[in-house]
Amino acid sequence: MRGSRLPPAGGVPRIAPLSGPADGRLAILQHDVLVIGAGLAGMRAAIEAQRNGADVAVISKVHPVRSHSNAAQGGINAALGRVEGDTWEVHAEDTVKGSDWLGDQDSIEIMARDAGENILELEHMGVVFNRDKDGRLAVRSFGGASKQRTFFVADFTGQAMLHVLYEQLLKSGVRIYEEWFVTSLIVENGTCGGVVALEIRTGRVEAIRAKAVILCVGGIGRVYEPSTNALICTGDGIAQAYRVGAPVMDMEMIQYHPTTLKSNGALITEGARGEGATLVNSKGERFLSNPRYGTTNKMELASRDVISRAEQIEINEGRGVDGCVLLDCRHLGEKLIREKLSQIREMGLDFANVDIVKAPIPIRPGMHYIMGGIKTDSEGQTKVPGLYAAGECACVSVHGANRLGANSLLDTIVFGRRSGAHAAKAAKGMSLPAVPETRADLDRKHIEELKARRGGEPSARIRLEMGRLMNDRVSVFRDKAGLEGALEKLRELKSRGKRISLTDRGTVFNTDLIFALELDFMLDVAETIVASALFRAESRGAHTRMDFPKRDDEKWLKHTLASWTPDGPKMDTLPVTITRWPPKERKY
Amino acid sequence: MKATLIVRRYDPESGKPPYDQTYTVAVGESEVVLDALIKIREEQDGSLALRCSCRSAICGSCAMNMNGHPGLACKTKVAALSPHGEPVQVGPGGNLPVIKDLVVDMGPFWSKVRQVTPWLRPGAPPPANEEYRVPNERMLDLSGMMACIMCGACVMACTVLEAEQGQGGKPDEGFLGPAALAKALRFVGDPRDGTSRERLEALMGGGGIWDCTHCFECVQRCPKGVAPMDRILELRRRAVDAGFTDHNGVRHAQAFVDSIRKHGQLDENYLARKSVTFGELFQMMPVALRMLLAGKMPPMFPHNLPGDSREDVKRIFEAMEEEKPA
Amino acid sequence: MKFAWFPGCVSRGACRELYASVKAVAPILGLELTEMTEAACTGAGVISEHSPGVADALNARTFAMAQKMGLPVMNNCSTCMGVMAGVQARLGGDGTALGRVNGVLKAEALEYKPPVRVTNFLWVLVEDVGLEKLKSLVKRPLRGVRLGPFYGCYILRPEANLGFGEKPERGKYLEQVIAACGGDPVDYEGKDKCCGFPILTMNRKNSLSMAGDHLLEARGNGAHGLVTPCPLCHLNLDAQQPDAAKVKGQRIDLPILHLPQLVGLALGLEPKDLGLGKHIVSTRPLLDRAGVGG
Repeated sequence: MRGSRLPPAGGVPRIAPLSGPADGRLAILQHDVLVIGAGLAGMRAAIEAQRNGADVAVISKVHPVRSHSNAAQGGINAALGRVEGDTWEVHAEDTVKGSDWLGDQDSIEIMARDAGENILELEHMGVVFNRDKDGRLAVRSFGGASKQRTFFVADFTGQAMLHVLYEQLLKSGVRIYEEWFVTSLIVENGTCGGVVALEIRTGRVEAIRAKAVILCVGGIGRVYEPSTNALICTGDGIAQAYRVGAPVMDMEMIQYHPTTLKSNGALITEGARGEGATLVNSKGERFLSNPRYGTTNKMELASRDVISRAEQIEINEGRGVDGCVLLDCRHLGEKLIREKLSQIREMGLDFANVDIVKAPIPIRPGMHYIMGGIKTDSEGQTKVPGLYAAGECACVSVHGANRLGANSLLDTIVFGRRSGAHAAKAAKGMSLPAVPETRADLDRKHIEELKARRGGEPSARIRLEMGRLMNDRVSVFRDKAGLEGALEKLRELKSRGKRISLTDRGTVFNTDLIFALELDFMLDVAETIVASALFRAESRGAHTRMDFPKRDDEKWLKHTLASWTPDGPKMDTLPVTITRWPPKERKY
Repeated sequence: MKATLIVRRYDPESGKPPYDQTYTVAVGESEVVLDALIKIREEQDGSLALRCSCRSAICGSCAMNMNGHPGLACKTKVAALSPHGEPVQVGPGGNLPVIKDLVVDMGPFWSKVRQVTPWLRPGAPPPANEEYRVPNERMLDLSGMMACIMCGACVMACTVLEAEQGQGGKPDEGFLGPAALAKALRFVGDPRDGTSRERLEALMGGGGIWDCTHCFECVQRCPKGVAPMDRILELRRRAVDAGFTDHNGVRHAQAFVDSIRKHGQLDENYLARKSVTFGELFQMMPVALRMLLAGKMPPMFPHNLPGDSREDVKRIFEAMEEEKPA
Repeated sequence: MKFAWFPGCVSRGACRELYASVKAVAPILGLELTEMTEAACTGAGVISEHSPGVADALNARTFAMAQKMGLPVMNNCSTCMGVMAGVQARLGGDGTALGRVNGVLKAEALEYKPPVRVTNFLWVLVEDVGLEKLKSLVKRPLRGVRLGPFYGCYILRPEANLGFGEKPERGKYLEQVIAACGGDPVDYEGKDKCCGFPILTMNRKNSLSMAGDHLLEARGNGAHGLVTPCPLCHLNLDAQQPDAAKVKGQRIDLPILHLPQLVGLALGLEPKDLGLGKHIVSTRPLLDRAGVGG
């Protein structure tokens, strides 16, 4: 075969350079602060924890720059006063309105207030933000924002930030456990004391002890099929936290992004609409001008939930094009597209055979983001002492029932940093929680049992059934019957999930094993989503119940909370924090 | 359509050498190699190991060899590799050790990236409460380099690294390679960085910018249009401008330029003499002798352009040479 | 088939046999070549490294001269081809670069008005002469001679500059020409890799190792010789071959033909007229195999 002139040089897996006893056994792995996940939230948390004097390590199932923060295209919000009259309060108010008043306003205030400082710090670290004619940071328009306040690097802002944070992580010398998969959280006497993890390359399973663990594990997109999310977004850490007693909040709040490609579910940035691209139906009408959608002012720059609903109605009522509507960028011109939307032009060519310079591109709403997640306070603390969460996996809650575009990057940076600082300070006065020496054996045994099992289904079949079920029943429009059916089906999938078997029984880079472990976590996540969606008997933000079509502030201006029990999630509610923006009618 | 994939497999635990396995899988017209590999993994053979994540050419996980050339499996259409249904050959990327099947050890790749001190080193504390003021053109130029997703396709394609490893060189030694050097320019070219000179000086040595052989492989294979080789040439230009000239590469370039400036054509004898140090000239004596004997020695008095044309060439040099790219 | 012929520096210097063989085969193939005696060197990628503006202007001058002659440009060197294609791409943008260049050319009453057709002897053989015509002209098919193609980087990459979108077969032309001449093309991985010439003075060991790897691989796959459209590759593969053999610690002895030499042999020309005696590695064994007398 061509390309195989040289024999593989890496015959035997090389053991990662860990300092340990001479007999090859590992030193006891322990750190003050252990960050799980190396996306933007994770790396920002790690850098901050180290600045605060902690011995920090990051553990990630993929190399840091492979993290899904990469996929954030459009930008990051901050009211730096680039446009007259913009203040952090206006940004906060936009966010509250975007959240359909489900966001906790104290946390939203923190995020909006801290935004500017955080963005300047990123710029000082080296992020190559686009500039205006005076050489200052340029801004673009974004959905749901009343002022221009989205800072950006062309249409790959997430990637540009992720790579710069990785540069800073390398500079910091923080220990990185690269391609290690966390199999469980260690909780002893009610306190989190580290994790058990599998080194993918060698197959060894070890306990890594820590005084504080920060979950920055990202979203859950693969619970759906299709999804804009990467294949690694399987919500492992959310399920792990849920299982050890940290409740999850507002899990029914799943964002469908208005512009995704039909072929592979890939994302076309909201930045395209920010730059002026329009949405049209099969008749060539800009359907958002129809008053029924409540979008006549902001049109394409209304909130995502609102536009996705409008698109789905156009498609359902027969004004779509092959299950899609059209995004038209032609009038933006080739120069602007080259400078600001180059990557999505590339994606259009690669995945839809459309050059956006020359033709409108078919798009449709696609599963994109979860507003819900592990319930935390504004310092990232969960209900379990020593366990933190930040970024998409957490629910602070700043996004409520619908996240504004370009607020997710901001969320990762602001709350990643806050949890890193808090965890490091908390770890200072602590000794390592006690962990039984045999703790990792539980996970080793589980993996051996999984490998030994024969004759079951492959994990992929169950995962795909689950994903299609979720996309079918728990998407833009939902109802009781559909959700109940989904819950029943999920329970069947869970029991089948207990009987799967592997094709690969090896130890080195056994991805078959990883997928099986992930499926187990995803099924738990799916169950909390469906149970929460069934529980919330109203329509708010991204959650539209056909059987309860109105927002019901009287009964449901509340968070839903799901806690693990052996019989499935136990549902509860929590009040929403309102500081200065009482609920109003939501129109764009 | 049905696609046939011949996948180069390797299981380090089996004690067996790599082998080829053939799979047949249904793929749509616009489907990519990664779609086919995922289908194989999900429907036929769960033991096939590969890295992949985003499926949209942004995470950089799935660089591998397809029909002998590295690229992202998520960006390479099956139909493009197999227009008439020919089998598609899929293997691990070159120049990096193979861990298992299509998974290579990226360790050497990252170790070279680390060698260029890949973080910003500002010359002074950052401005208080505001950003650095930088012209947008400079940032756009840098974002052309930041578009690099570190997938390693360029390194897998690099002909210099292949030559070094053919001589027994280790993957984490020798030529820094296209990705690390493009990353270096990302800092050298960043007006916020205060250490451009140190960075350039460090790149003058063995394994640095002058070891690139100009083969365009990385330019052709880069899935993100970063054109690493062009970045290396830019580094060379900046190094010379910064006064780092003690290198055969610089001598060669200067001699070449002088020759064209003077004659409009290349004086190969002059070029050969001026491109090396005095000691190295001796190494070249056997070659020169061989060429002389074969009647291949370039003429002592080089072919000149007619006088008018030489003036025209001079004028071009005078007018254009000072124009430095931004 | 008329062309403004750009022979390049090396074919008038260290590889004069290339110049001679192009001249010898052209009339038989029906190519009317007008040599561009006033055109300057393309810069071979070195000038553009030093100053892209100079390289653009030098080549735009050549293009403008050809346009004045009303002829497409034909070169006989992969490197010249690649550099010219690169300049075409750079000057094809929004017109700023072109404007600057034409400003300088004004003094000699020249103006480059894109596009101009730039091609090379290999492409001309397939796209202008045609493989069928070439076959019909073959008087001395090289039966049983196994030849490895060696393209040279610049004629292959980057594909976007070199018209591969419209003519994806350009990466197979050498094999097609070898076959049309009656020879057997030999496949090997090195055929489209780097010969190592550009780093000969900077990293001699790597440079010679590259040449040696490809030569040994081709020989291992049964080649009796290589054919190249690039005189710079020829220098590293032929003139440096004894040193490459030393670096690899093995004898190589693989003759390297310039493309027009191969064509000339097949057309029945004499080795002397094609300068086949002016090689470092003797072409005699290959000629014997082809049944060509001395």
